[in-house]
Amino acid sequence: MSRPLALLIALVTASSLASTASAQPQQRSLTIYAAASLTEAFSSYDKAQRYNFAGSNALETQIRNGAPADVFASAAPLNTQRLYRAGIVDKPVTFTSNRLVLIVPRSNPADLHSVYDLRRKPVKLVVAGSAVPVGGYTRTVLRKMGLTSVLSKVVSQESDVKAVTGKVALGQADAGFVYGTDARPVSSQVSVIRIPAWAQPRVRYEIAVVSRSSNKAAARAWIKRLLSPIGQKALRRAGFLPIPRASR
Amino acid sequence: MDRKRFLVSSAGLSATVLYGPFVGAGSAARAAVTDDDLAFANFGVSAEFLLKDFYAKALATKRFGGLHANVLRQGRRAANNHAAALSNLLTGAGDTPPLEEDFEFAWPRRTFASAPQAVKTGLTVLRPLLGAYQSAAATSSVVDYRVLYASLGASIGQQIGALSALWAPVGAKSFPVATDVETASAAIEAYLG
Repeated sequence: MSRPLALLIALVTASSLASTASAQPQQRSLTIYAAASLTEAFSSYDKAQRYNFAGSNALETQIRNGAPADVFASAAPLNTQRLYRAGIVDKPVTFTSNRLVLIVPRSNPADLHSVYDLRRKPVKLVVAGSAVPVGGYTRTVLRKMGLTSVLSKVVSQESDVKAVTGKVALGQADAGFVYGTDARPVSSQVSVIRIPAWAQPRVRYEIAVVSRSSNKAAARAWIKRLLSPIGQKALRRAGFLPIPRASR
Repeated sequence: MDRKRFLVSSAGLSATVLYGPFVGAGSAARAAVTDDDLAFANFGVSAEFLLKDFYAKALATKRFGGLHANVLRQGRRAANNHAAALSNLLTGAGDTPPLEEDFEFAWPRRTFASAPQAVKTGLTVLRPLLGAYQSAAATSSVVDYRVLYASLGASIGQQIGALSALWAPVGAKSFPVATDVETASAAIEAYLG
């Protein structure tokens, strides 16, 4: 990992920890394992809990191996459903959705104005690995648009969406696929190129109580509040989309 | 052949043309299918859902009666059949087709305020879709797909004619322009939400 990227990630982590530390005291905070794309949304929604943000696939592995989580919020149903089938989490529910966008540095050195420009121009493209939800969604978008050939222009495969965002924001890549919500916090450093609705993957976030949690009642209550109008409003404020019709 | 038997056999033939090549030909098609084949199909399914929604909303306004309403009903039925055929194609090629529920269509506020305005918007969606189907029919790597796209293009051409005849001047074109998915997508993207 390059020094500027490490610095950016350290700053993001420090700010996240600081906001958690300044939280109001509570009886006992929950340990919430959540997809990296939920970092800003969850941190500002409820500062009183302890968070572990990372790629959903990495979090799934950690929980499977006994990590002390109370709640797991994943950017793809695949990760929660696998744990559910293994009896490691309770029945997951969909709590929000998202859209993919292509981001480019503000200076736009590759002069990209459409996703199709990725095929026409020489670019340094950064994506998440295929096991990470956003990496899988990226490949779905490219397949739907008939653009899988641009994967030959990938210079780096990252472990989560924040690493993709960081590389583009720092100008270390010409373009990267991230969630719309990840572009927001770095809007002064990147420009967003929209992906047509017909090429969007079904980005569904699922959440579940970890079965061995010793704080299950509080975990269930936390999820219930997230699903309530208050929680949904907070997610919308962070740029997330409503629970899809098919999942209601 | 009496009339009833003729109608039954014609219906069977239509179903075969629409769905037949894609129901059991999945593995054969899968080997030859290209990126562009899937792009045309994905775009086509989405645009057909959009058209279905357009026809349903136009009918709901009650601004179209009698034969005019029939034109819209036939358009809605065609859009539904087209979406099913293209979804079948995608499933056969090992892909996951889009669903209607994936979209929150966004029609401009005045789209259905008058019949002429509705017709104008419908034509705005139909024309680029015809262009895309023409390109797909000309370039698809799978013969069965080309047959389907040619059929879809013909149907969309008929809809353009029928819809134009309702309110707009009928300007039949000798050579409608074929377009790529990118151009067709840009033309209707705003409606897809």
